Amino acid sequence: MTDTKNHTGTVQPSLQGRRFTARSRQELIEAVDLAFDYRGDVTVELRTGEVLSGYLFNRDVHGAWLEIFPANQDEIRRLSYDEVVAIAFTGEDTASGKSWEQWVAKKESERRQEAARIAAEARARGHL
Amino acid sequence: MAVPLSQMYTVTKYVLTQKLKGVQRYPLVLMLEPLFRCNLACAGCGKIQYPDHVLDRRLTPEQCWAAAEECGAPIVSIPGGEPLIHPDMATIVKGLVARKRYVYLCTNAILLERKLDEYEPSKYLTFSVHMDGLRDEHDLAVCRDGVYDIAVRAIKVALKRGHRVTTNTTLFDDANPERVRAFFDEMMALGVEGMMISPGYSYQKAPDQQHFLKRERTRELFSRILSRPKRSWQFNQSPLFLDFLMGRRDYQCTPWGNPTYNVFGWQKPCYLLQEGYAKTFKELMDTTPWDRYGSSKNEKCADCMVHCGYEASAVEDTFGTLSGFSRTVKLTLLPTSR
Repeated sequence: MTDTKNHTGTVQPSLQGRRFTARSRQELIEAVDLAFDYRGDVTVELRTGEVLSGYLFNRDVHGAWLEIFPANQDEIRRLSYDEVVAIAFTGEDTASGKSWEQWVAKKESERRQEAARIAAEARARGHL
Repeated sequence: MAVPLSQMYTVTKYVLTQKLKGVQRYPLVLMLEPLFRCNLACAGCGKIQYPDHVLDRRLTPEQCWAAAEECGAPIVSIPGGEPLIHPDMATIVKGLVARKRYVYLCTNAILLERKLDEYEPSKYLTFSVHMDGLRDEHDLAVCRDGVYDIAVRAIKVALKRGHRVTTNTTLFDDANPERVRAFFDEMMALGVEGMMISPGYSYQKAPDQQHFLKRERTRELFSRILSRPKRSWQFNQSPLFLDFLMGRRDYQCTPWGNPTYNVFGWQKPCYLLQEGYAKTFKELMDTTPWDRYGSSKNEKCADCMVHCGYEASAVEDTFGTLSGFSRTVKLTLLPTSR
């Protein structure tokens, strides 16, 4: 069911490539919220020195914990906000450039190329 | 009649039981998303933009059955992603059917013909085929030529094998009412049991005045599409929801009516908004601040008139008010009296 078709007419700048080091609790909460809304992997730097990359899919709105699907592990990692030093938006922003208006605005040849690429990817996975 | 009597009876019994028990908030349709991976990439679809390792995650059959039992809704809708990509989808469906859930498997039908042998026809199973309009509109909407023809062929084969088949259609304010009416004719001519329609959901934040106009435009569009309905048209959804789309009834959203379960957990607060996840259905119901959501309460909800929020409101109207009940009876028996 594709009833979430995004008809937004404006192009939001992507956070891809940005890195946030929180200087306060409020900044940390804001950075986690941005990462929560981001449709790509982030890299979280922890006080222990560990660096964790994955998809941040859940967080406590009061700033207690956040949850990540690590890119290379099956198990969910739950982290305390207190453990986090910095968050970098390292993965591809998979939602960027995917609005209906941007699709329509493309040249016919570009649309055909993109459709062919997507079909080829699906075929390679055995999904067509 | 678009919805079989046994399904109507089950839903009626379920709703009345909830009312007799005094349950204020109860789910009507479980939105079960066993995967996000799709074999299409429709422009602007907000459901499948994730990194590959997320798209490769799948709910297991056991997780799906546990979610259905935990939630208790009589109807389970399986969107996605494309459900037919899931290698265990037939097992998932079989288990849900064994639990006597009415399953709507929402598919773009690209794989339907190939996978059909894995499914037994049942009154509990409906293939709900995504069709966004006639050939030109549909292929444009899904960003690939030829998909409309594949879906039509699959619908015919599924019907021939005795399956229940419906269509589901998302419309935006650029839809041409006359073309949509012609599309309805074409779908009913194929022999589908009924059609489901809904306006699309826009994430765009905009000033209130624009939101108001947008809702007005939605009402105007659906009024033009659904006025003077043809005798052949059947809709597999509440007639009061269609009234709502036409601006003839006004509802508040019922976000808990279609709870969503996917690889992240139980999605707060609804199928469209992602504001967090709960581990259990009970946690979802107990901890979601429901009063913050609805067209007059939340900017993100201002434009929304989508079925997953308002179909349950329409059903509540049917069973909660005399006017709703009598209107539902009238439109069910005399659909062209709209």
